[in-house]
Amino acid sequence: MEIQIQGVSKRYFSEGKTINALDNVDLTIPGNQIFTLLGPSGCGKTTLLRCIVGLETPDTGEIRIGGEVVWSKDKNISVPPEERKLAMVFQTYAIWPHMNVFDNVAYPLQVRKLPANVIRRMVEKTLRFVRLEEFERRPATKLSGGQQQRVALARALVAEPKVILFDEPLSNLDAKLREETRKELRGFLRELKITAVYVTHDRIEALVLSDLVAVMRSGKIVEMGSPKKIYFDADTRFVADFIGRANLVKAKVRAHEAGRTIVECGLGTIACHLREIPIGSEATLCIRPEFLRIAGRETADGANTLEGHVESLVFIGEAYEAEIRIGTERLLARFDTDTHLEEGDPVIFGVDPAHCLLVSI
Amino acid sequence: MIQARSKLTYLLMLIVGSLTLFPVIMLALGSFSKGLTAFGSFTLDKYIQAYTDPAFFAVIANTIVFVLGSSTLATGLALFLAYLNNRTDIPFKFLFQIISIIPMMIPHLLFSVSWALLLNPSNGIMNLVLKQAFSLESAPFNIYSLPGMILVEGLLDLPIAYLIIAPAMSSFDVTLEESSRVFGAGTWLTLRRVTLPVLRPAILAAFILSVVRSLASFAVPSVLGMPGRVYVLATYLYEMIARGFAPDYGKAAAVGMSVLAASVILIIVYRALTSESEKYVTISSRGFRPAVVELKKARIPLFLVVGLLSLILIVLPVAVLFYTSLVPYSMVPSARAFALMSWKHWIAVLEDPISLLSLKNSLLLGVAGATLGVLLSIFVAYVIVKVRSTASGILESLSYLSFSFPGIVIGIGFMWFFVQTPLYATLWALLIGYIAIYMPYGIRPLSSAFVQIHAHLEESSRVCGASPLTTMRRIMVPLLVPGIVSAWILMATMFVRELTLSVVLSRPGTEVLAVQILRFAEDGLWGKLSALGIMMIVVSTSLVVVATLVGARFRLVESSG
Repeated sequence: MEIQIQGVSKRYFSEGKTINALDNVDLTIPGNQIFTLLGPSGCGKTTLLRCIVGLETPDTGEIRIGGEVVWSKDKNISVPPEERKLAMVFQTYAIWPHMNVFDNVAYPLQVRKLPANVIRRMVEKTLRFVRLEEFERRPATKLSGGQQQRVALARALVAEPKVILFDEPLSNLDAKLREETRKELRGFLRELKITAVYVTHDRIEALVLSDLVAVMRSGKIVEMGSPKKIYFDADTRFVADFIGRANLVKAKVRAHEAGRTIVECGLGTIACHLREIPIGSEATLCIRPEFLRIAGRETADGANTLEGHVESLVFIGEAYEAEIRIGTERLLARFDTDTHLEEGDPVIFGVDPAHCLLVSI
Repeated sequence: MIQARSKLTYLLMLIVGSLTLFPVIMLALGSFSKGLTAFGSFTLDKYIQAYTDPAFFAVIANTIVFVLGSSTLATGLALFLAYLNNRTDIPFKFLFQIISIIPMMIPHLLFSVSWALLLNPSNGIMNLVLKQAFSLESAPFNIYSLPGMILVEGLLDLPIAYLIIAPAMSSFDVTLEESSRVFGAGTWLTLRRVTLPVLRPAILAAFILSVVRSLASFAVPSVLGMPGRVYVLATYLYEMIARGFAPDYGKAAAVGMSVLAASVILIIVYRALTSESEKYVTISSRGFRPAVVELKKARIPLFLVVGLLSLILIVLPVAVLFYTSLVPYSMVPSARAFALMSWKHWIAVLEDPISLLSLKNSLLLGVAGATLGVLLSIFVAYVIVKVRSTASGILESLSYLSFSFPGIVIGIGFMWFFVQTPLYATLWALLIGYIAIYMPYGIRPLSSAFVQIHAHLEESSRVCGASPLTTMRRIMVPLLVPGIVSAWILMATMFVRELTLSVVLSRPGTEVLAVQILRFAEDGLWGKLSALGIMMIVVSTSLVVVATLVGARFRLVESSG
């Protein structure tokens, strides 16, 4: 089910200041895909989600879910949340502490007044799906964080909604559990073929789970695309920086030749991934640490060669992280743990132009 | 959703506003009127009469001594107990918890009466004992005096002062004290220079609340003050409207206006101070238990002091009342006294139609009043906590306003209103008055219950397809049960024992327990009084028990089904 958002704005007034939580957002969320709203805290992503589900009222614009208008300023339509037939997993899970697991999950069906035997069958099926069938009678307060998270998911799935909304559902789990649950959730969602709107500030979650990612900043959608497009081929410096670790270097466009854009920067002359930026204008060169590969004397054909020395070296477990001084710039690089380098050693890198990304300033 | 909420807010503002502001307005209008029958005809006579009466100034002087004396006693004792409990190794700390919940069990009226029974100059039991033991000419103590009143009122206000000071004391950041010790200050100097100044907002708040409560207090001045002709403002007002041939409600309203103004100002100061003391408290959130001060040799003597206080506050009043209800007339406990014991007074009370009527009325008012009051409080607390808007802020202030209302003054205000309506001299008048005055006692436990319910629990129900009403019934109410139970208990026990408002509004046919007990006290019928008093304690205790059981059962049903 497709969700269309047109010209939606939302302002808050707090301590005499006006905050633009949503600034004239236009967005179409395609049906039957996993769509992620990614952005730093306070960028408006949760507000947008709450506007879709109906817990927040926008100031302007229109929202359609599956063609039906659920909110419109001009047409004076405001469908209350309980009539939007959506489902949502909350950041705090919002598991009702006075009910057991079964009742928590059965609730959406009970309020729709379905017959008891139907409710039982559907709840059992859903609990099996999230692998909680043993826990039916358990009071909700006697569950671990991961189990609570699955109860919240089961409750969202049980009424077979066309759209499920997730508000940072993994942020309350510890790091290890978060990684497992992320994989699990990915499995569940792939199997279901429903529209999922997922809000997070965690870039890895966004990359792992999504079919489509929209990056938000200050109430606006900055960029939208597949995870790979966002990671490897971002248009803006903000997105390139936000979605992963990046070395950002100021550069000036010199020429476009042989499917490459040539720039001049603190690292020297670098051949980059082709991008239509006028010659002579300023841009930012973005090189991710993992693409700085140590080269022997020989470098691959057409690769940029960078010469510098190791300024600092930190062992972080699975790798070394090093700061490399090249010309006037300092770059972050990662080495395998079997690399024999020490601080002060000279080092040569080869960087494939395909991984030298030019983004707007 | 937003619209429905603001409609609810305005409706509640209307209800709460009329409950709290109406009697105040009527009081003000009444004070400028010639009399109950000539309402609305403007005159300043009543103010001139009231404030030029020489008796008035003696009353003011008494009131100031009484109020400041009892508040100082209450705050000092509360500080002492809170320090011992939170910061020292004194044994049996559970006693402190008991002291803090006792006022719910023993009504102030009965507490005052039990002290009159013990220490009145003519036949007070303790006086008689001391006279015999030391062969004295006259009674050594006279409770019918200002010092007597201050002692009893101070003990009655102690629990509320303790409830304010103790939390501040327990969340006190000990490193503040430790650093003072490191820089060379001793225990006493640290207490004086660091501990007490940091706790100052809490101490002041406790003191001011005691002042407001003793200013409004009617039980102590009427039982202990009036026999010795020591009048304070509350009893002075009572004399004006309830005694003699010509009750003067206009003059009473004129005096009441300044009592009310003083109370409201004090409560505003109190609220400012408590928000300040919360600021102090939140500074530290360290997990470890504060270091305890070792009392060493003082440990046992100090414990005896606390034990004695609990004895005075809990055991003594009930024991004295029970004893008095069984003996034919005041006498020192002895073999003869026990031989003469009988159920005579109990039977007399149960055969007295007015006492029975007052029992029935109080029970009815307790159950119906608390139920209605809690229902209203649920909605008000919901709006205050969950709907954050200017209107809900006003509603909050309105609903806490009655916290400052001296019962007798507001009673006079209500009187000016009810005589114009058919509600006059009905139980409805009492019901409305009770709810108006005791609303904060319902709202406070419920709003703290609402605060603990995360907004997501409610929102998630809406997203699951439940309407606001279904959400209220299936999610909010079950989670609120503990809050509802304690609000109901608080209101019901307050209503069963209510005195200050009732002495003004109660009329023949609408007698309530406390008023009937006061009549017995005025007539010196101590035996009957004690029997009825014990019945009152039994009624309110059984209401507490029933409410607790119902609450527990409700939670059980909800969690299994």
